[in-house]
Amino acid sequence: MASIHGWFGLCTGWILFVMFATGTAAFFRYEISQWMMPEANVAPASRLQAAETAVRYLSRTAPHADSWTILLPDDRLPFTRVFAQAAPKPGQMRMMSHEDVVLDPVSGEAIPVRATRGGDFFYWAHFELQLPNLWGRWVAGLCAMALLGALVSGVITHKRLFSDFFTLRWSKGQRSWLDAHIVTSVLALPFHVVITYSGLVTLMTLYMPFAMSANYVQPTNFMERLYARAVIGPASGRAAPLPPLAPLFAQAAARWEGHAPGRVVIGRPGDEAATVTLARSDRELVTARIPLLRFTRDGRITGTDYPPGAGTSSAGVLRGIHMGRFANPVLRWMYIGLSIVGTAMVATGMLLWVVARRRPKSAPTRSQRLAERVNVAVIGGFPSGVAALFLANRLLPIEMPSRAAAELWMLAAAWASAAAVPFTVPAKRAWPTVWAAAAFLYAAVPIANALTTDRGLVASLAAGDWAFAGFDATMILIAACAATGARLTAKIGAKPAPQRRAARTRPEPAVDA
Amino acid sequence: MFDAIVSNRFRVASIAARILTACVGGYAAAAALTTLLARALPIDRTEATSWGLLLSFPAYAALALWAFAAARPGRVAAIIWVSAAASAVALYLLGIRP
Repeated sequence: MASIHGWFGLCTGWILFVMFATGTAAFFRYEISQWMMPEANVAPASRLQAAETAVRYLSRTAPHADSWTILLPDDRLPFTRVFAQAAPKPGQMRMMSHEDVVLDPVSGEAIPVRATRGGDFFYWAHFELQLPNLWGRWVAGLCAMALLGALVSGVITHKRLFSDFFTLRWSKGQRSWLDAHIVTSVLALPFHVVITYSGLVTLMTLYMPFAMSANYVQPTNFMERLYARAVIGPASGRAAPLPPLAPLFAQAAARWEGHAPGRVVIGRPGDEAATVTLARSDRELVTARIPLLRFTRDGRITGTDYPPGAGTSSAGVLRGIHMGRFANPVLRWMYIGLSIVGTAMVATGMLLWVVARRRPKSAPTRSQRLAERVNVAVIGGFPSGVAALFLANRLLPIEMPSRAAAELWMLAAAWASAAAVPFTVPAKRAWPTVWAAAAFLYAAVPIANALTTDRGLVASLAAGDWAFAGFDATMILIAACAATGARLTAKIGAKPAPQRRAARTRPEPAVDA
Repeated sequence: MFDAIVSNRFRVASIAARILTACVGGYAAAAALTTLLARALPIDRTEATSWGLLLSFPAYAALALWAFAAARPGRVAAIIWVSAAASAVALYLLGIRP
């Protein structure tokens, strides 16, 4: 069991580290988007007003689209986002667009924000890993499945779960890493299991589509019931003006305890057979299977939504738990704390794997050295890449072509540079170097923000802008942690290996020559 | 000398077989068994499908870990592959739910 756990972990650990890191960031997706689009400093507006101005914008810019999706503003993201889509191919589900236009909710005009993926990058990268088509989702799914196996085998391996939970042995080399790995795993074990399982459930129709094919001639019928998607019927071909939204919002409010919808999807706008689907805000319910209200053009409610039974509801709740959109700020910070613990669990696991295989008398083998170097490259390098992404967001020229992609290239370049460090500098200096680089990059982010925008830390604190202030403060905090890491790893590298009692033969952490 | 080669190859082959049974066979068996469950459960079609999907991941994890941990790999492999095949045949015979 222990070796299964180790091998599952080794094969997938570096990818899982990136998934946990991006997943942690994705809990702050909207705040990061705000920070990465500082031009979008808008006044608040009611959701109805935002919807109406968005419809005006879309009527002007995409009058012949098959569907319009309007994501209404809320307290986490104060501007409207819209995208227009063509019809999906037959038998395929409509997928959420990766790119949207940012609108001022009051005027409905497109805000000239800098081209950037914003916080959405972390959301998509978390399960698509920046790979094309569905490959990223498959790789992420395999790693998640391995993690589920590793969690179960880890618990089975670790029979003395609770007594060892309270054991933390500092400065004892491999034992310390083992304790760190155990603590981070056990401390948040319910979170780890639920987040892994719910992550798999979120994409379960991709990973295990067979049950759908056994029960449905057309599997999309099932997916429409599982996900409560807006159904857009065929066009009639006759033009007709769009319905007013105010009475539809009023009907929704009557059903949804006075709340306005979070999303409006208009199918076949401008056609007589246009439909308006209002989706409840995903902030209000745990389930991700958001209640919908579908209206015909004359404002009649059409097509009752499939009332979900236990299975479909459970799947919706699990998806909602995974994304945590319902969480208020306190709960969201708890989510993030647990997610950081999860990231640390994966990182300490990878570090333990290397340390546990060191033999005191012999030099490390080539594959051990490679594993250690890749550890530095991924665990030390990826955070630097993310800092570079934020720096690029501030420093790249606003009017450059393919700017959003260029930001990602900066992330890749910084990550690659950091990854080159363990292969080029002496082993003792690898960790301190990458942590020092990360500290420098993260500290530079709020400085770049203050120098290139008028929404620096001092200004945002004065204005009570918690999204901006919190972001800058978090960058400083991460820089401080990275600097501490650099100091600690420099000190540990300089010390000789601690003496161990000969009674128990365990490999000592050899100072790598 | 030949003993070493044969036993090494044997060990690699048996580990490879375990990996295959656990990762591929486990997936096949978990998918087939839970699909059969989804097909046969006498409840609403949508709910049965949802349950089949939800249970497939714990089933996969359990089968894969069992395949690695079991003392007799031959027995485990037989059970996993045969149940996958048998469920698949049963599903083929049942056809899509009417």
